[in-house]
Amino acid sequence: MKVIIDGKTIEAEENKTILELARENGIYIPSLCDHPGLAPFSGCRLCLVQIKGKKGYSPSCSIYIEDGMEVKTSTQQLRKLRKNILELILTEHPNACLMCAEKKECDEYKATIRKVGEVTGCVLCPNNGDCELQEIVEEIGVDIVDFPSYYRDLEVKRDDPFFDRNYNLCILCGRCVRICHEVRGCSTLSFVKRGPETVVSTSMDQRLIDSNCQFCGACMDVCPTGALIEKGRKYESLADDKTEMLCPLCSVGCRLEVNLGEGRLLNTRPAADGPANHGQACVKGRFLIKDLVYIEKRIEKPLIRREKKLEEVGWDEALDWVAGKLKKYKGKETAVIRSAQVSCEDGYVLRKFADEVLKTGNISSEPAFSSYRELAQKLGFMPALNYKIEEISSAETIFLLSSNISVSHPIVWLEIVKAVKNGARLIAAGPMELQFDRFVSLQLRIEPGTENILLGSLQKILTGGESFKAAKESKVAENALREAAEILKSSKSPAFIFGSESIQGPVGMEVLTALWNIALLSKGRLYHLGLESNSRGIFELDRSFNKKSRQTGLIIQDIIDNKVKALYLAGSRIELPKKARPEFLIIQDSYVSKNTEIADAVLPAAVSAEAEGVFVNMEGRVQKSGKVLEPPGKTKPDWWITSQAAKRMGAEAFDYKKPSSIIKEIRNKLPGFANVTYPALEKSKEIFIKEETPQKGKLFTQKIISLPEGNNKRYPFRLVLFYNLDFYRNLSLSEAVRGFRIFRNSQWIHICLEDADKLKLKNGDSIEVLSPHGKTKVIVRITKTVSPGIVAASPEYPIFNNTASSNVLKVMIKRGK
Amino acid sequence: MKEKVLSEHFSIDNFFKLDVYLKHNGYQAVKKALTELNPEKILKEAKAANLRGRGGAGFPAGVKWGFVPQNGDKPKYMCVNADEGEPGTIKDRYIMTHNPHLLLEGIIISSYCVGINTAYIYIRGEYENIALRLETAIDEAFQKGFLGKDILGSGFDLDITIHRGAGAYICGEETALLESLEGKRGNPRLKPPFPASIGLFQCPTVINNVETLANIPSIILKGAEWFCALGLPNDGGTRIFGVSGMVKNPGIYELPVGTNLKDLIFKYAGGMKEGKKLKAVIPGGMSSPILKADEIDITMDSDTLMKADSMIGSGAVIVLDEDTSILDVLTIITKFYSHESCGQCTPCRIGNSWIKKIVTRISRGEGKDGDIDNIARLASNMVGKTLCPLGDAAAMPILSIVKKFRDELETSIK
Ligand SMILES: Cc1cc2nc3c(=O)[nH]c(=O)nc-3n(C[C@H](O)[C@H](O)[C@H](O)COP(=O)(O)O)c2cc1C
Ligand code: SF4
Ligand code: SF4
Ligand code: SF4
Ligand code: SF4
Ligand code: FES
Repeated sequence: MKVIIDGKTIEAEENKTILELARENGIYIPSLCDHPGLAPFSGCRLCLVQIKGKKGYSPSCSIYIEDGMEVKTSTQQLRKLRKNILELILTEHPNACLMCAEKKECDEYKATIRKVGEVTGCVLCPNNGDCELQEIVEEIGVDIVDFPSYYRDLEVKRDDPFFDRNYNLCILCGRCVRICHEVRGCSTLSFVKRGPETVVSTSMDQRLIDSNCQFCGACMDVCPTGALIEKGRKYESLADDKTEMLCPLCSVGCRLEVNLGEGRLLNTRPAADGPANHGQACVKGRFLIKDLVYIEKRIEKPLIRREKKLEEVGWDEALDWVAGKLKKYKGKETAVIRSAQVSCEDGYVLRKFADEVLKTGNISSEPAFSSYRELAQKLGFMPALNYKIEEISSAETIFLLSSNISVSHPIVWLEIVKAVKNGARLIAAGPMELQFDRFVSLQLRIEPGTENILLGSLQKILTGGESFKAAKESKVAENALREAAEILKSSKSPAFIFGSESIQGPVGMEVLTALWNIALLSKGRLYHLGLESNSRGIFELDRSFNKKSRQTGLIIQDIIDNKVKALYLAGSRIELPKKARPEFLIIQDSYVSKNTEIADAVLPAAVSAEAEGVFVNMEGRVQKSGKVLEPPGKTKPDWWITSQAAKRMGAEAFDYKKPSSIIKEIRNKLPGFANVTYPALEKSKEIFIKEETPQKGKLFTQKIISLPEGNNKRYPFRLVLFYNLDFYRNLSLSEAVRGFRIFRNSQWIHICLEDADKLKLKNGDSIEVLSPHGKTKVIVRITKTVSPGIVAASPEYPIFNNTASSNVLKVMIKRGK
Repeated sequence: MKEKVLSEHFSIDNFFKLDVYLKHNGYQAVKKALTELNPEKILKEAKAANLRGRGGAGFPAGVKWGFVPQNGDKPKYMCVNADEGEPGTIKDRYIMTHNPHLLLEGIIISSYCVGINTAYIYIRGEYENIALRLETAIDEAFQKGFLGKDILGSGFDLDITIHRGAGAYICGEETALLESLEGKRGNPRLKPPFPASIGLFQCPTVINNVETLANIPSIILKGAEWFCALGLPNDGGTRIFGVSGMVKNPGIYELPVGTNLKDLIFKYAGGMKEGKKLKAVIPGGMSSPILKADEIDITMDSDTLMKADSMIGSGAVIVLDEDTSILDVLTIITKFYSHESCGQCTPCRIGNSWIKKIVTRISRGEGKDGDIDNIARLASNMVGKTLCPLGDAAAMPILSIVKKFRDELETSIK
């Protein structure tokens, strides 16, 4: 269609607002409340335009273009009107600085004077220089306000972690309210009160942390003023440089925009064009990246143990010493445990080191995908794993087998929310209730550990059989199961989304088989959420080596049995149990931890912001994370450290100068990486692991395994394990960052109110959980997501993560001292 | 006495009770509509009656019903606007208090006409007793089979739910009403889309004022022609005018559409109290622009008042005498709108609040040169530029006062 804006004829596609079209064509219309990705609101009224044939003025942000429409955006009347409206806005916002004749000169000093509690002018505002309101004032040119400014004098809200809210600066554009509701599905914020008292607040004006806020920061990122201010950024300098990196904290792989000032990382924000995250992130990528870099626990120099004490040494000395010691062990006596938060380059070199230098088969496997490997063996080919997150929002039906998804993979959850808002039905199966259960259309709440029974029964119904084992053992009502089957049958290509929790352990393979079968029957797609930022990448890499890798738990058992004597622990969150202390322990990592205290050598590794590297997210999308900062002290990238160690042990093929040469080697070895080159990754966001051509699938018989009964008297609770993924390398995020700990603590054990009452427990109480595998200290967290007899926790805990062979454990709870 | 459509039986004892109502031809209209007429016929009749909406905008009811798409698979809803928030307006309260079954009949017939099975009455929060009375009336109607499943064997089902507001004027605005009914904050929605296609719970919805719907039963029983003839050709029927202010007999007067305003005040409402001189009239609720004493020889109907740059609105006539200070009137108006603005859009939220601040300052005797111009400028920045019509509703009367009583206002500044 053709639209005429200010006399210029523009060829346009429909379904666009006038404002969008104008923006695309470089025509400036001032706007404050509009924001891409949010539904039109039309509150600020700055974007009014005149449309031929229409009386008066129309908000260009909410009027959709029509063929032949003639629009004027900048008549005399409009300019006057906008000035008037902006003037009104400025009476509600401290405006002296906005109209001050000296503002240019003043700019030089702002970095110092803005460190005050109350913001009464731009020079005191942390948003100064990065503010949409300032830009609009410049653009429209207001130099005098006829009415005295009115200071709301509201108390600044500082009681929440991560950001403060100063509604004295708010212009009520509603962007925060809308993004929280429309995009994040949280609905934490709302307008309250009316008339001139209208203000943004939470339910009953509680703190955000008590109002279901997820601290994603999205509200802050869309705020055009300084009303929402990041605590960690408040006293930093202005940004003088911007660059990008990948978030290393989960398998979504959000692209983050990094603000730098005088060489410091000021903060990170989701990149608008991030191919997986589309301008969104979560609390971790938004607020914690800076802590990963600057936290005091960073190790900056190599350490070796001499006469019982760790001593700082230079790299040459450390590496020679390590190489010398390692050489003494036989291949079988050595092991490498590696994190999946390191880049492909790092992971590959570590693997090659184990294979070719240490000559050991003891290298940790990627737990997220072990069942997939087995399924591939059964099938004779690797089932497709590359499905785009953004395609979830167009699914008609979503079958979700991961109750914690809004925490573990928040961006995937956002797509589910979008799908539900588009009319999709969400079937949620699992032993826990979703935190946002209001989006669920059918809940299949099952007994812990009975996923495979549920799915087996569902499969039988789908193939026309009768089986109601599920009703008995999973406690899912027969009609609910039938309803689920009906929904699946009636929808095109349902999306099955599942977390690693459900496909790990002894029954995991059966769960995956059942999922495969059901997806085949309903022509659905299987979305494996993956775990860590590079779990898919590490999984793909390992396929290029002939030898199989081993489960971490088995390696640890070998240490206990004294079969493994030297351990190379790289970036791993594993905490070694007391009885599993190897004779020689090398830690290649970034932070001080319990493990580093007992290590024989500590090799300080750069964190992801400090090193280039390639990561593969859950979609199979290959992305390059840029080097944003210089590594501090003597820290070096993992690939450099490992290859240096290898060289000093006499290996030759480790002569890498830069990570791109490692990628080249990977590319030549592994067809999956055929498209992956640094230049290609810099050019395109759409590079994926090349998958095998899928062959025709077949149905497998699935074994239905019931969990052993166990000693119910001694262990009356069932503990469900789920992933929060709140760690980076050997750092627990909740241990390290206080603000985060208040919001979410890895030590929490979720328990329902009924059980808590029975045991006389209240939120925050310290208790002990005992299982046949050991015991650990945890903190009570009362929630509605678990039912009586069930407790839930995130398995970053020693007793859980080393030996967890299933996602359910029988436990007993004891009050702490 | 003129013929009455709505208030004829107001004086009969216990008329609100179903048994009494039934003795006076009660539910005959529902019976006729559901058993003798089909929806198309009713729609034709409603259109022919030229029944204009009594809630304020004066939109023809039949035409509005005709906008509702009939082929979709979504449910459709009826929302009865009983919020009666417009200052000066008291008519709906009389109808619901004395003649609740007439309203129910109107709801049943219009719902049948549009193919609606669920209706909501959104009633002003303060009308607690009336809500209870309506509740009882609904119960009675259910028991007698006028509501519920298969009404009078016609196969038509209807359920009515009462929802009480919480004291916000803006919730009388139809889209804010929908938001509030959905359990959200009563902020007006953007239009388009219009409620007829996307309304309550995203479904097609009809919203009508209480008085509008209470006219339907008579139209069904006596025909559109008769109804039209009561009033004007394109603005049929009678209206309940609520006369308040400095008249001898304030109260409600049901009179034909097109009755002269002068007659309404001097003939029906008994003229000015204590023999005072008339100063001005606000003819259709506080949102309507003011008429000076020499402008009241005018017929009360939508089109005529529109031509006179005012509006008939809710038919609430507020009479001001010579002793009334126009500054006080302005103060009351601006206080109201400043407080009742939902706060969503700039010109209304901030504009009204500034007008209020300036006017209060003038009343304190601290007026300044340029104040009146600023008031006018703020008000003009609202007209046609706000998100919902509340902005206009606030600005129009203010502008009319500034225009017509500027001299008096200026004297308050000196
Ligand atoms: C600010 C505002 C307040 C309103 N309040 C009421 C009200 O209290 N009662 C009412 O019937 N209509 C009210 N209206 C008009 C309604 O929006 C709507 O036009 C009316 O309910 C439609 O019914 P009708 O066509 O039968 O008149 C209000 C409109 C505005 C803009
Ligand atoms: S941080 Fe996220 S969840 Fe919290 S209020 Fe802002 S948008 Fe909503
Ligand atoms: S806090 Fe910011 S985003 Fe929210 S309404 Fe105020 S100005 Fe807009
Ligand atoms: S943790 Fe995951 S979802 Fe959160 S910002 Fe990082 S990559 Fe994105
Ligand atoms: S005009 Fe007033 S009441 Fe209407 S949306 Fe705007 S602020 Fe709210
Ligand atoms: S951008 Fe259109 S009204 Fe605010």
